[in-house]
Amino acid sequence: MPNFFIRISPDNTITFLCARSEMGQGTSTGLAMIAADELGVDMDQIEIEFSTGSSERYGNMQDTGGSNGIRMQWPALRKAIATTRELLILAACNKWEVLPKDCYCEKGIVNHRLSEKKAAFGELLEIASTLAAPKDVKLKEPCEFKYIGKSIIGPKTKLAATGRTNYSLNLKFEDMLYAAIERCPVWGGRLVSFNDDKARRVPGVIEVVQVKPLEEQPDDYKGGVRHGVAVLASNTWAAFEGKKALEIQWDGGANAKKSDEDIKRELIQDSLSNNDISLEIDEANRVFKKGDDFFSAYYSSPFQANACMEPLNATAYHRGHKIEIWAGTQSPSITRDRISELMGLPPAAITVNNLPSGGGFGRRFFTDYVEEAVVLSNHFRKPVKVTWTREDTLATSKNHPYWVDNWEASLDNKGVPIAFKYKGAIAGPSGFTPFPYGIPTTFYRPLGYRYPRLLPRASWRSVAAHPWGLSLESFIDELAHRARIDPLEFRIGLLKNADVVEQVFEPWVGDDLYPDKLGNTLEIAAEKANWGVGKERGIYQGVSSISYNTSYCTQIVDLSIVGEDILKIHKVTAVVDCGLVINPSQATAQVEGSIVWGLTALLKNPITVRNGRVQQRNFDTYELLKMAEVPEIEVYFVDNENAPTGIGELAVPGLAPAVLNAVYAATGKRIRDLPLKQPKIV
Amino acid sequence: MKTIKINGEDHSLDVPGNVPLLWVLRDFLELTGTKYSCGIGVCGACTVLIDGKPVRSCSRSLDSLSNNNVVTIEGLGEEERLHELQKAWIENDVPQCGYCQSGQIMSALALLSVNADPSDADINQAMAGNLCRCGTYLRIRKAIKQAASMLRNTKNDISIKTIGNKGHKSLLP
Ligand code: FES
Ligand code: FES
Repeated sequence: MPNFFIRISPDNTITFLCARSEMGQGTSTGLAMIAADELGVDMDQIEIEFSTGSSERYGNMQDTGGSNGIRMQWPALRKAIATTRELLILAACNKWEVLPKDCYCEKGIVNHRLSEKKAAFGELLEIASTLAAPKDVKLKEPCEFKYIGKSIIGPKTKLAATGRTNYSLNLKFEDMLYAAIERCPVWGGRLVSFNDDKARRVPGVIEVVQVKPLEEQPDDYKGGVRHGVAVLASNTWAAFEGKKALEIQWDGGANAKKSDEDIKRELIQDSLSNNDISLEIDEANRVFKKGDDFFSAYYSSPFQANACMEPLNATAYHRGHKIEIWAGTQSPSITRDRISELMGLPPAAITVNNLPSGGGFGRRFFTDYVEEAVVLSNHFRKPVKVTWTREDTLATSKNHPYWVDNWEASLDNKGVPIAFKYKGAIAGPSGFTPFPYGIPTTFYRPLGYRYPRLLPRASWRSVAAHPWGLSLESFIDELAHRARIDPLEFRIGLLKNADVVEQVFEPWVGDDLYPDKLGNTLEIAAEKANWGVGKERGIYQGVSSISYNTSYCTQIVDLSIVGEDILKIHKVTAVVDCGLVINPSQATAQVEGSIVWGLTALLKNPITVRNGRVQQRNFDTYELLKMAEVPEIEVYFVDNENAPTGIGELAVPGLAPAVLNAVYAATGKRIRDLPLKQPKIV
Repeated sequence: MKTIKINGEDHSLDVPGNVPLLWVLRDFLELTGTKYSCGIGVCGACTVLIDGKPVRSCSRSLDSLSNNNVVTIEGLGEEERLHELQKAWIENDVPQCGYCQSGQIMSALALLSVNADPSDADINQAMAGNLCRCGTYLRIRKAIKQAASMLRNTKNDISIKTIGNKGHKSLLP
């Protein structure tokens, strides 16, 4: 039956084709629940398979990012599945000579209400295949949902609890070569020479070859394969040992003397420079002059790594006329198009099998690690699995860039802002970095990075919203304190006067920005977190309110002073409006995970660079938050039946400013740079 | 040729002695439930039990094993016969990407085998060497407590049993 989301077999096996990548965010469960409800089958009747990369089938719905999975597929998936359901009903009507309105689907069976007649979907396929697909099918009403809105435990949870998730790192094929690559440690550098004598003596090492990027000047964002030397072996360990034994001379090129401090200095200089704000310079100056008071501040956040627990890896088999790829990738269809372009084969000759990933967070959107496997397999015409060591994923990967955002405010005599100027990482507000506050005029100027980039870029959970949220939500807080207005009330006041912001920007952003929805999360959070009544108990609070791709989230952080310059975070309360919540357990898990993510970036070592080289080698120097460091987390969802929006990244950007605003409330110290070193948080 | 005991079964191997147990399990025996993530003993993803104690299999060479009993996630339970920890893990919807979870469960198993009723602090301490980038820590702690209470209530002895290996099919392109 022609439906790219579902496959029904004559024996009534029902397979949901998940056209979105599963990397822990739970999309495979959420989408399967939507399909099960719309079709009328039970979750335990459904098998889940991940679709191979295919833009001709899924357009741009398949590549996974921007917390868009459920939001983007909600209308299309339901309509496609409802069409199949109605077609099956028509087939049954055809067979029984009854009316569609008297039939319904349940547990994979079409039932006739007025008689005992029943037929499994699989029995109706032959008739269904002769009928025209119905148009304008009716979607289920919320009262008919069996799964949507419930905390259903999906197959991915059960597989992981028994260690049986089929990550691409587990793959093994007969005749497969296991590869590890020593890559140029400086971005933009080149290989001068190498000696592989010792590497070749490692038992299990089969071959050593040079890896060259397929493009002369690799783009840092797209592609971005580094120069390197690959060791191919009969097992992963031998490849790793062989890689360690290589002796290589690199030419680091233009970045060989640079550090992250240089980048920070350049960005601060540019953000403070007087060449003003945009083409609207006269207008900006005129508006700004009307104020009685002025205030400005800049905020910085350093390079970060995604550090997915499953190291990057991909397996490719290039057979000359066709290529098959197995990878946990966020961009199966982009990857297919990219490999087609690079290898000069039509997309139809390339199959990208998309396997579940041990974390993606934006890093697996990029194709460099897949390209390496394809290039090596092209050389050997055997299946090749490239596995990155943990060290590789930190030292020679792609990173969340350094950012500096500078805000200036012109204030009236009550301290209420009448205009803002922003100079920083983004060009202006977007659906992912929206400006929700009703401030009459805001002027933007993006800060260009000076080239060459020190580190190549990758998306990182919440991308630009992280620095944007840090700067905007800290700055608003600073203004509230200057005006001696409660920071939560101050935000509600600014949002009350704000207009709906048009931001329709299909397909990645699907709706306008509603400041009142954000205000509503603030009001609920104030009540849930007992805002403003903790001081007697020694509890200091900080707040942030963020919109990200048409979802809304307020976070309130409770902390206390436990010693001189030592604070303890007790609780994070998050109130979320992401429309209809498909699976509350998983949606809550995404908020919990985002808070842990945000705390890690706030409290732990970032990626630093000296002489062009990343200094962090492994999880001993790029530390992650541990269990004992996680505060209590309470998550509330605004009850509504609006179409679902996203939840995977929403709570990342607001975490750091909420903590830092609480730190200010407790200590009077305003911290504007990540990570937080003093006061110490325990 | 060397013989090692994994999940109660003997395996004879022709593998260099300096290969870490992690890679013996994953690449040679196709027991891929045990995961590689850091390779230097700091993340816990590769945790297995050796004679009942939690061990980072990335940091134990094949040579260092003799008559030891190795238990991996494959030996703990399977869909039809889940261990209490796995039941609690599923009930609390603990895993996100799942990659760290085999190691988390094995560390939790080691804890419960010596402490039938662990406090938050006991759990934090026992699990401090297991990282989770997805941030599932609070649910892990909850699941450990729930499993502990299930085990106490059923008065099962908490010694570690194994169900043997379930083979892994390799597929050919
Ligand atoms: S892989 Fe062994 S502790 Fe990380
Ligand atoms: S569940 Fe993804 S790393 Fe723990």
